[in-house]
Amino acid sequence: MSTLREPCVPGLFSEENGASLLGARCRCCGTPYFPTPSHCRSPDCAGSDLEPQAFSGGGVLWSYSVANFPPPPPHQFDAPFKPYVIGVVDLDQGLRVVGQMIGAAADMRVGARVDLVIDPIYHEDGKAFTSWKFRLA
Amino acid sequence: MQEVVVLGVGMHRFGKTGDAIVGNKSVTELCRAAVDMALKDAGVSWRQIEAVSAASSRFSGGKGWGLNGNDIVEDMGSTGIPVYNLSAGCAAGGNAFNIGYSLVAGGIHDMVLVVGGEVMPKGMIQTSGLDDVNDPEYLRQRCVGMPGPTFWSTLARRRMYDYGTTEEQMAKVTVKARQCAVGNPYARFQKAVTVEEVLASPYVSDPLRLFEICPVSNGAAAAIICSAAMARRFTRKPITVATSTVATISFDDALPRSLAGPVPSGPSFHTEAKSAVMRAFERSGIGPSEISFTELQDNTCYYELAFPEEWGLCAEGEAERLVEAGETAPTGRMPINPSGGFVSFGEATTAMGVFQIAELTWQLRGEAGARQVPNARVGLAQTNGLGGNATAAILKR
Repeated sequence: MSTLREPCVPGLFSEENGASLLGARCRCCGTPYFPTPSHCRSPDCAGSDLEPQAFSGGGVLWSYSVANFPPPPPHQFDAPFKPYVIGVVDLDQGLRVVGQMIGAAADMRVGARVDLVIDPIYHEDGKAFTSWKFRLA
Repeated sequence: MQEVVVLGVGMHRFGKTGDAIVGNKSVTELCRAAVDMALKDAGVSWRQIEAVSAASSRFSGGKGWGLNGNDIVEDMGSTGIPVYNLSAGCAAGGNAFNIGYSLVAGGIHDMVLVVGGEVMPKGMIQTSGLDDVNDPEYLRQRCVGMPGPTFWSTLARRRMYDYGTTEEQMAKVTVKARQCAVGNPYARFQKAVTVEEVLASPYVSDPLRLFEICPVSNGAAAAIICSAAMARRFTRKPITVATSTVATISFDDALPRSLAGPVPSGPSFHTEAKSAVMRAFERSGIGPSEISFTELQDNTCYYELAFPEEWGLCAEGEAERLVEAGETAPTGRMPINPSGGFVSFGEATTAMGVFQIAELTWQLRGEAGARQVPNARVGLAQTNGLGGNATAAILKR
């Protein structure tokens, strides 16, 4: 029996038809956003006309770090804590986004191609709570 | 504008709750010690202080509302003076100095106390206290889990990629910092360390290790500032505030402050710090080549490599070589953090901007002892804070 999956925060991402981040883009200036703000925040954009955009697919690992110790709440993790890699990824769609990486620090390389995925970050009450992550392509 | 000078400074040695240095002293007690010392140094009585510009703490005292300046005035004796409580994360001390400076420069008050202090909770700072999906800090911790040091290690990792910086070179920054602190009676850590010891300390956030990241500390610092005209009544050798500036982060900054941002079109690192420092150069008419020494916010040794290059104190990609050649030591060509920096003091968050003013003042007076920068004439200070805050100040003798 498969574990029930539930997003750690609802409405931010989807795994139907592949992993995607539910954001927006300004029709006036093209600035991408995730999550969706109430209006365009670019100081150079006089207008503000946001349309929903799902960000998905691949990107490049701009840099990464490692959480060698558990972060304080509200982060939750499966005990015992295992260090994980946090990537800063430039998606091909023009969005620079942070997210956990699947895999060990030793396997990471700045400049590597990665793919967006949805994956559990912790388990509770028989459920797997998911978030977006990146996997080396 | 009136010319502004630093008349007196004070500090309580930094330590950790329960240790022999700070024990269980409250933030007000720590501030009291720093303020008493600054008043004595200035030759000024409490009654002569016309206003207080205080860095407000989220962690301790302040009646739970960050009103730390009011705690200090109550403790010193309520004289009815105006109190300004400034909040800017770790840049709050720098902000408090800027408001104090502005009040004196603008002729609103002639004699102002600037103070910051902190009793820190243990461990990594919890950036979000809210359980609210509209709070970007909450989302970042909930969906990703980014302990504070991962910001620094992400940037450090990128520098390793861009410039070939090695872990050993980063360790050498800490070795230099801790060597400076051997001669500093206010530093929490006063023992030198070796490259081997730094590299043997555990990763907090790979590639940064325990000895390369500032811990949290308890401590306090104070400065009495006044108009140059008034200073003549108290001293013949005041330290002049050439300028004080505040800035915030740019939209195109390289590192997303929340979950994501547009991919920037070019390098745009630490835009808040760079903006504060560039404004300071512009407003004071003092250029990077005239800076005798710098106290910058070294939450991590990485900043000692990146910042001097971004501000034009040295050439791009040159910092590692300068560190290895000893040029960032007090006797070098580009002294950085002769105090020992945050890596040797630990961070008592809201005290740090004022701590830097105290160190600049001691250096410019030639009172810095073993860590003295020879013939220090002009000092640059810089802080960074949560929310994209930054400050800079240039002091000269």
